[in-house]
Amino acid sequence: MDLFLQYLANGIVVGSSYVLVAVGLTLIFGILGIVNFAHGEFYMLGGFAGIGLATVLGLPLIVSLLGVVAFAALLGFLAEQILNRQVKDKDPTNSIVSSFGLAVVLQNAALLVIGPQPMLLRTDLSMVPVEIGPVYLPLQRALIPVAMIVLVGALHLLLRYTWVGMSLRAMAQQPTVARMCGIRVSRVAIVTFMTGAVFAGVAGFLMSSVFMVHPLIGNMIVLKAFTVVILGGMGSVTGAAAAGLMLGIVESMTSAYLGNGLRDIVGFLMVVIVLLAWPQGIFGRKLERS
Amino acid sequence: MLKLDNIEAGYGNTRILHGVSLEIPKRGLVALLGGNGTGKSTTLKAIMGLVGLQSGTVTVDGRDMAGIAPEARAGLGLSLVPQGKEAFGAMSVEDNLRMGAYHRRKDRAGIAIDLEAVYTRFPRLKERRRVAAGMLSGGERQMLSIGRSLMSRPSVLLLDEPSAALAPKIVEEIAEAILGLRELGLTLLLVEQNVGMALDIADRLYVIRGGRIAHETAVGDGIAMSELQEFYLGGHQDA
Ligand SMILES: Nc1ncnc2c1ncn2[C@@H]1O[C@H](COP(=O)(O)OP(=O)(O)OP(=O)(O)O)[C@@H](O)[C@H]1O
Ligand SMILES: [Mg+2]
Repeated sequence: MDLFLQYLANGIVVGSSYVLVAVGLTLIFGILGIVNFAHGEFYMLGGFAGIGLATVLGLPLIVSLLGVVAFAALLGFLAEQILNRQVKDKDPTNSIVSSFGLAVVLQNAALLVIGPQPMLLRTDLSMVPVEIGPVYLPLQRALIPVAMIVLVGALHLLLRYTWVGMSLRAMAQQPTVARMCGIRVSRVAIVTFMTGAVFAGVAGFLMSSVFMVHPLIGNMIVLKAFTVVILGGMGSVTGAAAAGLMLGIVESMTSAYLGNGLRDIVGFLMVVIVLLAWPQGIFGRKLERS
Repeated sequence: MLKLDNIEAGYGNTRILHGVSLEIPKRGLVALLGGNGTGKSTTLKAIMGLVGLQSGTVTVDGRDMAGIAPEARAGLGLSLVPQGKEAFGAMSVEDNLRMGAYHRRKDRAGIAIDLEAVYTRFPRLKERRRVAAGMLSGGERQMLSIGRSLMSRPSVLLLDEPSAALAPKIVEEIAEAILGLRELGLTLLLVEQNVGMALDIADRLYVIRGGRIAHETAVGDGIAMSELQEFYLGGHQDA
């Protein structure tokens, strides 16, 4: 039982990072209809940027975090220019091809500039233990679910109670009516990409203390995030949050009780089963599109 | 004031409008009648800039709309109540109305006043203010759609078949509401297939057929309903 709780906690930590990556992916799809295969690279570059700021420059963690946020926001802005602005006629296959290309470019750029060797973030916080009953986590890891809850909560408030957030939801639900209300598509697209990139970049930074960061890590992450988006229902933020945690927990339990080799397969099995049983995803698509 | 001067427009390479001209004075209520697929909605979309003009001009309150994006036209006093009564289905009725005022979102006090005015005009919407727009009946959605347009403080309002697919009693309510809008000083272009309703409330009628204005008349010139129906159904050949 004690071990079970420990596995659960580990699953929640990893699942929180899936949530952060998947939320941006689902927003970009739900609002702009763009399938962003380069989303994992926001995670990878966020991780490297954070390690650079915290270890190479020796900045305090909170300053490094703010640096990662700013860097990821810039990345999101540039990605929007390439994936949305240039491929304007909105054929979904265009964005698939161009985002795949962007992913390859960013991976190779990282290989050239940073090199292939994996890196791990080590900070003073990894020495601080957090014990909740039988569960033990280094503080650095325990903060990941906390950060996820804060960020997703903030996003929820933004979407519900601000003009910017409402304009995003309006664009997802009725783009033509939204335009006639005076909402500019380009502005919505920039905000959406920047938000998505910041969430993924922060996830990459936070997780760089758990999993090694390397130039190709985005491939695995984006597959996990797509799994989550499909399970949660394309375009649904709440669905992505629930499905992300679920995937993290299921993976953790699978590797603990069934063997580590099955860990990365179980998600895809879930997708197949869910698509057969509930083609709309377990949590439907109810938030963004009506 | 709204003026269309010989506009041509269409989708891709298909031309739908072949030189449509019409003029509505300030506070005028003009009805545009025509059968299915004759280009009524396309005319309204061309006025909003949702469909690009191939030639001709659209003038709103003396200002040429050429080169102005649809997103910017709300701020210039132009608003469309679309044919499908579309609304932001997952948002509350009140949030839908607020979105109508998006282009002047800094004006909090003005928005609060206009919201009350819409609720006074459509008490049904006030009762349903917290309900998701996707849950509304057809009549309520039409009221919401008109209310959302009013929130933008338009000077020219375009209505695309507001009576379509509604029960007769509701149609009467909507007709009343449109007449009420004249008192606000709006310039109104009403697209309809319901000839009776158009004759009741409009002061001028245009009939469109095959993307051309086939007939134009003032209401009260003793025009007989049957004569109009004939035009409308395409019985007359263009003079
Ligand atoms: N998005 C579009 N792309 C291509 N063709 C279109 C599009 N929308 C309308 N059309 C075509 O343009 C023509 C005019 O359509 P429009 O919607 O203006 O008709 P309408 O007079 O509003 O008819 P209704 O009374 O049925 O609403 C039709 O032949 C229609 O098939
Ligand atoms: Mg129409």
